[in-house]
Amino acid sequence: MEVGRQILDQQLVDKTGLGVGKVDGIMLELRNGAAPRISAVLTGGHLFARRLHPRLERWARRLTRNWGPGKPEPLRIPWSKVMKIGVDVKVDIDAADAMPWEHWVRDRIIGRIPGSGS
Amino acid sequence: MTIREVPLEQLLGRVVRTAAGRPVGCIEEVRVRPDGNDYVVDEFVIGELGFLAKLSAMVAQLPTLKALGLPGRYRTRAIPWSWLDLSDFERPRFRSAVPDEDRKPSSPA
Amino acid sequence: MSKLLKIALGIFTSIGGFLEVGAIATTAQAGAAFGFRLIWAVVLGTICVIFLVEMSGRLAAVSRHTIKDALRERFGPRIFLLTLVSDGVINLLVLAAEIGGMSLALQLVTGISFRWWAVPVGFLTWLLLWKGSFSLIENGVSLLGMVAVAFLVGAVMLDPPLNAMVRGAWPSLPTERPVHYWFTAVSILGAAISPYLFYFYSAGAIEDHWDEDEIGVNRAVATVGMSFGAILAIAVLVVAAMVFHPHGIEPERYEQVALLLTSPLGRWGFYLFAATLLVSCLGAALEISLATAYSFAQGLGWNWGEDVRPRDAARFSLVYTVMIALTSLLMVAGIDPLKLTLFSMALTSLTLPIVTFPFLILMNDRDYVGEYGNHWIGNLAVIAISLLASIIALVAIPLQLMGG
Repeated sequence: MEVGRQILDQQLVDKTGLGVGKVDGIMLELRNGAAPRISAVLTGGHLFARRLHPRLERWARRLTRNWGPGKPEPLRIPWSKVMKIGVDVKVDIDAADAMPWEHWVRDRIIGRIPGSGS
Repeated sequence: MTIREVPLEQLLGRVVRTAAGRPVGCIEEVRVRPDGNDYVVDEFVIGELGFLAKLSAMVAQLPTLKALGLPGRYRTRAIPWSWLDLSDFERPRFRSAVPDEDRKPSSPA
Repeated sequence: MSKLLKIALGIFTSIGGFLEVGAIATTAQAGAAFGFRLIWAVVLGTICVIFLVEMSGRLAAVSRHTIKDALRERFGPRIFLLTLVSDGVINLLVLAAEIGGMSLALQLVTGISFRWWAVPVGFLTWLLLWKGSFSLIENGVSLLGMVAVAFLVGAVMLDPPLNAMVRGAWPSLPTERPVHYWFTAVSILGAAISPYLFYFYSAGAIEDHWDEDEIGVNRAVATVGMSFGAILAIAVLVVAAMVFHPHGIEPERYEQVALLLTSPLGRWGFYLFAATLLVSCLGAALEISLATAYSFAQGLGWNWGEDVRPRDAARFSLVYTVMIALTSLLMVAGIDPLKLTLFSMALTSLTLPIVTFPFLILMNDRDYVGEYGNHWIGNLAVIAISLLASIIALVAIPLQLMGG
């Protein structure tokens, strides 16, 4: 299996098929005397910005320091929670834990406009 | 034993050098295989250096050009996981135990 | 839903997407300035867009991915961001032109300046997205768009010379004013080959839960729908060629373009033109806003969907809200909608290879389309036309800006 092609940048879905973000990063655990193993997939945070350019990530961090959901770290999903890799990457997590920005935009902006479906 | 972790997405595209520091290519892909419940790295795919080489690799994927065989093949080779020292993931290097002639990308993809 | 009904609805939607302010403005200019000689640009653009629309449907049906989704997965964040920015900027300009088009239609009918209409029109567009469902938008607006048939009626009533039309359908070099000729040609190409069209189409295929069974339907819808839209666009060109060209009139403002239909259809023609402009632009505005929101959401992994409540796709909804707000304000500022339209269409042509080349690589990649990969004819046609459009645009746009 090729990690760049088949795992990185793929859509993450929870048990029910609901989207919970993209695979923005993958952690490799280095071991003495054994091949490195994939320990986790990561989503969110400023990983996307960092992959474009490190300066962009610093800029994004500064921008979101004073407003936003306030949790700038990406969500780490241990490899043990990855259930299936196919069209999407299915993971055993709670959708409420992922996508802090989505919730923030919903509560602070979209939710305040009448007719948004509350 | 300390657990060292490196971000794989930061490895992709990094230049790989010999133990002496000579650049030989860049990490194009990481191939993994299942090992029990884990996925472990099997080999690294190293590609050619240089902006023009990469550009022509991209352009060569265009269907019509591919069929016509232009502009030339982008060479990659796969190396076993044990050959790379990833302790500084921004500067991956060959371990010094690797024989010199084996380090140059030689075979077509 | 029966296959036939699906095809029929799909065709209406495609027509609605094809004929909008860009198609109307560019073909009217072409007809007025060059008679029938630029019909080939419409034909070439239509051929290319038929291939692209069919491909986007096929990609969605087989890979269950939309284009933008697959672009990020296959090419990574940098290339994805390049396409996002390039599309985003152009979509912003085109959306402004569509809002301008709607505002102008209302100005034609009421006499009140279009700058006053920009905000209400923007609000209506936003409200339809906020409250409407995907099928409502897809079907409702495009059915209303059938009013554009007025152009076909007008063209037929004017009894145009068929042999001149046929000659115009074959590419020819200009006999006079080459810069204007080529600029108009690339504007037509850009109006016909609008990326938002096939991004929207692929998102629609996912929203409608297409799979491999839909491939035949997809092919029929793409071909017939786009062709019919092209016929309407050619009708606009023909009417302009018959009404304006003999008198050497070149419309500088939409009020003059509105006179197009009064010759064959009298007073009704004027109102039909305004109605056509209003509805076509509304449909296009909805599609462009959605297409841009889709691009962000699908590439960045946000929730998305027109059938979903805004709360449940907050960032997605934020994108189209911000877009509509920005472009409405742009129009309040009073930018000339006609000039903006022509310019943004030409820009679309310029950036076509950025849009189509990665897409073509996807369409030939077994991991995404399996055995349903592209035929070499489609590949060649899209590559050739994209390159042609881009190169001509690269030369013609600066020259036009300097001279015009």
